Amino acid sequence: MSTPLISDAKKRWQQELAAAPSRPQPATTVSGLPIEPLYTSDDLDNFSDEKRLGYPGQYPFARGVHANMHRGQLWTMRQFAGYGTARQTNERFRFLLEKGQTGLSTAFDLPTLMGLDSDHSQSRGEVGRLGVAVDTIDDVRQLFAGIDLEQVSVSMTINAPAFVIMAYYVAAAVDGGFDPRKLRGTLQNDILKEFHAQNEFIFPPTPSVKLVVDVIEYCTKHVPLWNTVSISGYHIREAGSTAVQELAFTLADGMHYVEQCLERGMNVDDFAPRLSFFFNAHNDLFEELAKYRAARRLWADLMKNRYHAQRESSWKLRFHAQTAGCSLQDKQPEVNLMRVAYQAMAAVLGGCQSLHTNSMDETLALPSEHAATLALRTQQVLAYETGVTNTVDPLGGSYFVETLTDQIQQQAEEYFERIEQHHGMVAAIETGFFRREIGDAAFAFQQAVDAKQKVLVGVNDFQQPDEKPLPLLELDESAERDQLQSLEQIKKQRSRDDVRRTTDELKRVAETGTNVMPALMETARARVTVGESMQVLEEIFGRYRLGAAW
Amino acid sequence: MSLRLDSMNETDRPQRIVLAKIGLDGHDRGIKVVARGLRDHGFHVIYAGLWQAPEAVVQAVADEDADWLGISILSGAHMTLLPDLLNLLRQQGSGNVKVMVGGIIPEADIQKLQQLGVTGVFGPGTPMEDIVEFLRERR
Amino acid sequence: MSDWTELFERFRQKDRQALARLLSHATQSEGAEIIRTQITPRPTGSVIALTGNGGVGKSSLVGRIAERLRKDGIQVAVLACDPESPYTGGALLGDRIRMSPLASDPGLFIRSVATSGGRQAVAENLDLMCQLLLEYGFEIVLIETVGAGQADVAVRELADILVLLVQPETGDELQWEKAGLLEVADVVVVNKADLPGADTVMAQLQGQLNLPGCRPVPIFKVSATQGEGLDELWRAVQELRTEN
Repeated sequence: MSTPLISDAKKRWQQELAAAPSRPQPATTVSGLPIEPLYTSDDLDNFSDEKRLGYPGQYPFARGVHANMHRGQLWTMRQFAGYGTARQTNERFRFLLEKGQTGLSTAFDLPTLMGLDSDHSQSRGEVGRLGVAVDTIDDVRQLFAGIDLEQVSVSMTINAPAFVIMAYYVAAAVDGGFDPRKLRGTLQNDILKEFHAQNEFIFPPTPSVKLVVDVIEYCTKHVPLWNTVSISGYHIREAGSTAVQELAFTLADGMHYVEQCLERGMNVDDFAPRLSFFFNAHNDLFEELAKYRAARRLWADLMKNRYHAQRESSWKLRFHAQTAGCSLQDKQPEVNLMRVAYQAMAAVLGGCQSLHTNSMDETLALPSEHAATLALRTQQVLAYETGVTNTVDPLGGSYFVETLTDQIQQQAEEYFERIEQHHGMVAAIETGFFRREIGDAAFAFQQAVDAKQKVLVGVNDFQQPDEKPLPLLELDESAERDQLQSLEQIKKQRSRDDVRRTTDELKRVAETGTNVMPALMETARARVTVGESMQVLEEIFGRYRLGAAW
Repeated sequence: MSLRLDSMNETDRPQRIVLAKIGLDGHDRGIKVVARGLRDHGFHVIYAGLWQAPEAVVQAVADEDADWLGISILSGAHMTLLPDLLNLLRQQGSGNVKVMVGGIIPEADIQKLQQLGVTGVFGPGTPMEDIVEFLRERR
Repeated sequence: MSDWTELFERFRQKDRQALARLLSHATQSEGAEIIRTQITPRPTGSVIALTGNGGVGKSSLVGRIAERLRKDGIQVAVLACDPESPYTGGALLGDRIRMSPLASDPGLFIRSVATSGGRQAVAENLDLMCQLLLEYGFEIVLIETVGAGQADVAVRELADILVLLVQPETGDELQWEKAGLLEVADVVVVNKADLPGADTVMAQLQGQLNLPGCRPVPIFKVSATQGEGLDELWRAVQELRTEN
């Protein structure tokens, strides 16, 4: 109840507000959520500290998944890298580890991402361009040469042929003397978001999800420290979605995977602790912060109350964050340094477990060494100089942040209902529901920018006509040639009998619907290529064509 | 509405533009925004989709009797793929179809592409108005 | 006028680009008039139209049927229709991507058509376009229409065989009935056969359509995405073609 004193102050404030100037751009979040000029205790009238906030490391984890978060242990600084041949990427990996990076993150080239070999006709001009080219187990071995895979955690960003790459990785690691039970890392392996946003899919949704579950099942038994999926919102956001859509669609995907694993007879507490997430870190610090906190609360509730997981570790949403690629501009690219810094802060305040900060020149080319170093330094300044790591969830309890967190959570729940109205995830995909929502949001954003309702510094305001170009990374065009040569050699040297035997076995296993991982490890050892393994499976599962909404 | 009158000229026919992505690159945010934007400005946009083989694109341009072809390519493989496509267009007899390219294209390559016959190149974030004006001016 | 003469000359010599040009002219009243004087009436049994609400899977099904026809060596043309915005005059024509694996096949011709509202516009233009395609040499023209509304009743007049596509609904089950299309369809197809509710819809349709004394209307269950049920569908359509 307000005393007369507070009432006067509020009245006065409201009067002054009415007379105060207002700026031309509407006061909304980056995603378009309208924001009030002020938040007070009135906004948190019915707020229950216990239910909505709790303690870090305890249900519902709004404040974080560990008791002391970054105060105890910094997030992993995990910069994405990969280009050219395995040898070249291996060099970059070792360079980054030397510079203080604490985990590896592998970028693959487009042909590899699409399950094609470097010598496929469609791969021309694309080999080793946007990531490392991997065709056989030899490339995997070379990629991680000289790196202790039991000490360094390795993330691999790949989806459609994720299960193939994982099998090749495990086979290479085992043959290299590592204990699979000690291997640590993450496989992105999130095919659903490909259908929503990134378009790196090959087979139709149902068999694709089956293969995701194969990895979860296999690793739960044999590679228990491995994060089997990185359920991603990053790409959904990059495709133009709002923060709420990013959150809702990601968790809906997570729910589908959980349900499929349960349907296979797996025990939720066996696999759930190793499901991880991957979110975007966009410009609007508070919206992002609210998104992460809402994500933890929502997931905890789903795992505990819908899927009846018993272990606390099954309820915890752990996530990797990457600063928003779509927010980087090619005009005045050094300004991107500041964008990335603010975005990184949002991710850290939001309690991320690992973080990738983009390089300023990433819209123009693969990062130069200088730009890549600055990106890493961004995280180091954040960690050591800003003081944000001194306490857990520093913004918890803020009238604004808690209100926004509730709001975003509620809107995400509304989306869950809408998705449920379709006949399940796969049916919703086929009606184009997700793509339409994302496409509409992307269009609305561009319209707002074109109308100057959203200002992009250097782009639609504060332009600089006479810019000097940044020194960019020169791509070594010899990578494609080298890769093709070594692939040709491998194909000559390997045993045709072994190739036939192992691919026949793969075919047999896939046709019976059994887990394909062991058979794939054998094809790996026979030096069957990624493309050849995928080809066997495509003949069984078919190729997916985009349906109702493109 | 003035928008509609704007898109009609002496022949009274809306311009037809085929939008497609070639190569393996799957980023379609930009091309879909452009598609919607052009529709809102009175164009008939024929969206041909992702991973299009150059022969398929050329066939589409011919069969749809398109005035323009818009290619989006963000993987960096433009200098490998676009010259071939332009050649095929000429061979098919569609050499007079105007071509615009969207994507991340370095300055030096923009000039090369223009020499090969590309009418315009647009980077990410180009305002819709600029693209529309460009297309209308060259009707 | 010599331009027209040359254009028709090339068309008669099977110049595909001349066909494409004439199709464009056919959408304009001035050009349409001229073309009408030069074109012979078309053979019957060659125009098959697919209609139904948005999201029901028409383009996927058309793509599958076209695939099937091509396998039998039949030359197919597709007219894929989408609505033109009444405010801007623009249109987003995205149906051809569902047929993309075949897109560089010379025996297949896909044309995207923006249809403005109103009965007149649709019937005239499409009719002429069909005639052009058939005269050029395509054996079958598949028309994929916009879906439920005035324009589709016009398509009934134009098509030799009208296929109505429905799906297991989550809500408004009687939508297609409202448009009166159920009465005029020659074949009814329930798409997305793998979804729950497909059999219920089949039963409902049987109840409404094939009452004693009525003209029998074959009803099929298909899954365009899985490619199931297409053979039976095509057989029925073939039968209707011969009846025509």
